Amino acid sequence: MEIQYIGEHLLPGKIGNLFIVLSFTAALLSCFSYYFASNHNSLDKNNWLNLGRASFYVHGLSVFAVTGTLFYIIFNHYFEYQYVWQHSSKSLPVRYMLSCFWEGQEGSFLLWSIWHVVLGFILMRKSGNFEAPVMTVFSSVQVFLTSMLLGIYIFDYHLGSNPFILLREHPEFMELPFVKVPEYLTNLDGRGLNPLLQNYWMTIHPPILFLGFASTLVPFAYAVAGLWKKQHSEWVTPALPWTYFGVMILGTGILMGGAWAYESLSFGGFWAWDPVENASLVPWLVMVGGAHVMLIYKSRKQSLFSAYILIILTFILILYSTFLTRSGILGNTSVHAFTDLGMSGQLLVYLLFYVVAAGILLAINYKAINTETVEDNSTSREFWMFIGALVLLVSSFQITFTTSIPVINKIFGSNLAPPTKVVEHYNSWQIPFAIIVALLMAITQFLRYKQSDLKLTFKKIMIALIISTVVTLACAFALELYNVFHILLFFSAFLSIACNTDYIFKVLNGDISKAGASIAHVGFGMILLGALIATGKSRVISQNTSGIDISKLGKEFNNMENIMLAKHDTLQMGEYFLSYKGRRIEGVNHYFDIEYFKKDKAGKYEHAFTLSPIVQTNPRMGNSAEPDTKHYLHKDVYTHITYAEMDKHDESGHKHDDDDDYKPFASATVAIGDTIFGSKSIIILENIYKETDSVKYHFSGNDIAVGATFKVIDIRNNTFFAKPIYLIKGNIVNPIDAELNEMGIKLSFKNIHTDNGKIDVDLSEKPSENQEFIILKAIVFPFINILWAGCIIMIIGTIIAIRARLKKSKYNIA
Amino acid sequence: MKKLHIIILLVIAVSIAAIMSTVADSSTYATFSVATNNEGDEYHVVGKYVKDKGIIYNPEQNANLCVFYLTDNDNKEMKVVYNGAKPQDFEMSEQIVVTGKVENGTFMADKILMKCPSKYNNTSDPTKTTGTSES
Repeated sequence: MEIQYIGEHLLPGKIGNLFIVLSFTAALLSCFSYYFASNHNSLDKNNWLNLGRASFYVHGLSVFAVTGTLFYIIFNHYFEYQYVWQHSSKSLPVRYMLSCFWEGQEGSFLLWSIWHVVLGFILMRKSGNFEAPVMTVFSSVQVFLTSMLLGIYIFDYHLGSNPFILLREHPEFMELPFVKVPEYLTNLDGRGLNPLLQNYWMTIHPPILFLGFASTLVPFAYAVAGLWKKQHSEWVTPALPWTYFGVMILGTGILMGGAWAYESLSFGGFWAWDPVENASLVPWLVMVGGAHVMLIYKSRKQSLFSAYILIILTFILILYSTFLTRSGILGNTSVHAFTDLGMSGQLLVYLLFYVVAAGILLAINYKAINTETVEDNSTSREFWMFIGALVLLVSSFQITFTTSIPVINKIFGSNLAPPTKVVEHYNSWQIPFAIIVALLMAITQFLRYKQSDLKLTFKKIMIALIISTVVTLACAFALELYNVFHILLFFSAFLSIACNTDYIFKVLNGDISKAGASIAHVGFGMILLGALIATGKSRVISQNTSGIDISKLGKEFNNMENIMLAKHDTLQMGEYFLSYKGRRIEGVNHYFDIEYFKKDKAGKYEHAFTLSPIVQTNPRMGNSAEPDTKHYLHKDVYTHITYAEMDKHDESGHKHDDDDDYKPFASATVAIGDTIFGSKSIIILENIYKETDSVKYHFSGNDIAVGATFKVIDIRNNTFFAKPIYLIKGNIVNPIDAELNEMGIKLSFKNIHTDNGKIDVDLSEKPSENQEFIILKAIVFPFINILWAGCIIMIIGTIIAIRARLKKSKYNIA
Repeated sequence: MKKLHIIILLVIAVSIAAIMSTVADSSTYATFSVATNNEGDEYHVVGKYVKDKGIIYNPEQNANLCVFYLTDNDNKEMKVVYNGAKPQDFEMSEQIVVTGKVENGTFMADKILMKCPSKYNNTSDPTKTTGTSES
């Protein structure tokens, strides 16, 4: 029986699917046409070329149409579509709708395709003679990417995952009872966007990162074209600005990811060597190496083979990182990998296709391209540039290998887990690499191509060397840098800033238009310096407020990085005094207002700032904490909630007193002078006496009444007295409890041991009496702005370098 | 060719060292029995939180101490002591990976990784959000 569903909008899905199929077939046609165009020299060539262009346009417009349709159904809350239902909800603010689009794999593949289309449109017009082979590569990649969206069965194999599949037809949800009701849409709401993605960084970071991914395809396509058409010296010139472009955009994307992590994740930092972060860092490092080797080739016609290898490897590593993050293989090691959509096989085919194709092309051309290397003179600029590229390559190898532990497990059936001290593991390798790279960045520009006079070079960098040494020693002392590697990294990073600044003014006479590389190097030096100081010297201030060195108590006490702050209490943390004012609830967000005070010279508390870290409630995905940070020019104070009670608060922020009852906390047998420990109090038995106030306690002369006096001391050293009574009223034991309402404790006098004078007492407590508390962690990151400023300077430098390259290549053509 | 050869050798040597250090630094996924037999060695143990026994966390006394019980994949149960704040939504976790070592019959964890239901997972328990759910 066919169910007639009410209120569904099936047309957008049909349109979307039509364009997916169209974009796939058009990409296929474009790929073949461009392939024939590059292999024909006759009149046919133009026909094939025209067909290739036309079909790539059709493909590109179809991809735009698919994207538009997906946006349309997200914006209109058409929850009949599984993608919309899965990733959004009615209550989601419009500004986060973009994030819904790329939360799922299908949307992020689409985002990636779109950038390829945009870049392809530019290259069709600008790549001249390279158009046919370059666009062959481009459209072949698009064939693979759009196949990821097909969602069709070829025999038994499910090819791709379709974003327009209906919820009631989705294999995982079609058996749900509610989708069998014709009116199922009436009250249907989506499952909502992951709270971690509801953040402004998440609306700009993914598009930039995917543009970075996409931009690695351009130099790759040129390199393949060069190998294929045997234009080994021609491909470098047009590919070089694109490589710079990729370095800039991918770098920006990665750093924005770091900024997102810093602003909205609660691990306390901007870089955690998470597999997903590594997966995009590695191609960037290799591409930076590739760009430098391409420069060597441009200036000295050397190292062509290495240039090919690095540029091809960059793209292959992008594919590998896609495989890592989307095949579900990282499951146990990363918090933000995608889940498996059953496309790992497809991704693997995609990856292997380009590995094999590029490998064959390299092998065929090996003799022609493996000509000169840079080894002729170790005082030359190109020699040390090459070494720098090699160091970057080895550094990426180290990162890749550790990140690939799950892959190694899969291949060899081993049972390795990532290093327990992951950050230390990576740092122990990457800090030395960074030191070498920074030193090379500082000195290499002062060397000449072919051969240089070392004495002269040394003279040129003398001042920078002296300044750097003095500054390093002073800062190492001031910042208490005691680790030798940290001091060396400080020195080399500072030296690279000093040398490159020096170079801009002395050698280039301050001509900014030529100083792109130097400016970018200054920026990178600042990134290293900022990262070193901000993370190496970050202080967790939310610990050890007692002033006692608790680390002496044992190793385990070292990592106590959280403190409890009760409402209206004030605690000292570092130079600050914290007071928890209370919570505000706005929608799903609980804001915890924490006031920071400083003591001024007169000893008076002065309000410094208020931070409001958030805990976002999300019944389906779990609550998530978002930190809040006070930014100063020279430091950041970062605070996040590690624990807070979430379930008993209503909209107004007040607690429901639904469990007002006392809960048994402890039972004890005590003698006079003995102590019972409550959770918030110390209770001492002072004396036992014969109670005589028969009026107050309603007993007669024959009954027995024994009282006990307890002294109760709370955490603020306030003292209270409680007098429970043990009463035998006509042979029935009828104790009268003593309640201390203000402290939420109750004492019951249960029994008297006549043999030793001890008594049995039950202590009950109100489980969460009105004292609300939070557990928080606070970290000070000194000088983190050096890092962010470095990012911006590096981006600006790279843009200037691209402009300079484009200008040059124009003159070359003319 | 000599200089190039030296460079290549250096690169290979550093790469091998990197591989070795990764293998040396890497931990192992293991069960509690393995961790108990090798007291003091670091392991990753994957398990489930024993809900009946609860979690002991008294931030007033020590905000950095939680004690709970975990059953590993061989259904062996062990007391876990974690020096840190109780993770938000601990009770909701489906699966927990603890990193640490066994000392005197207790697993001393210095890291906890929780897998919450459907946080990044599309497959688990869609019945929780049926047509009427509001969030």
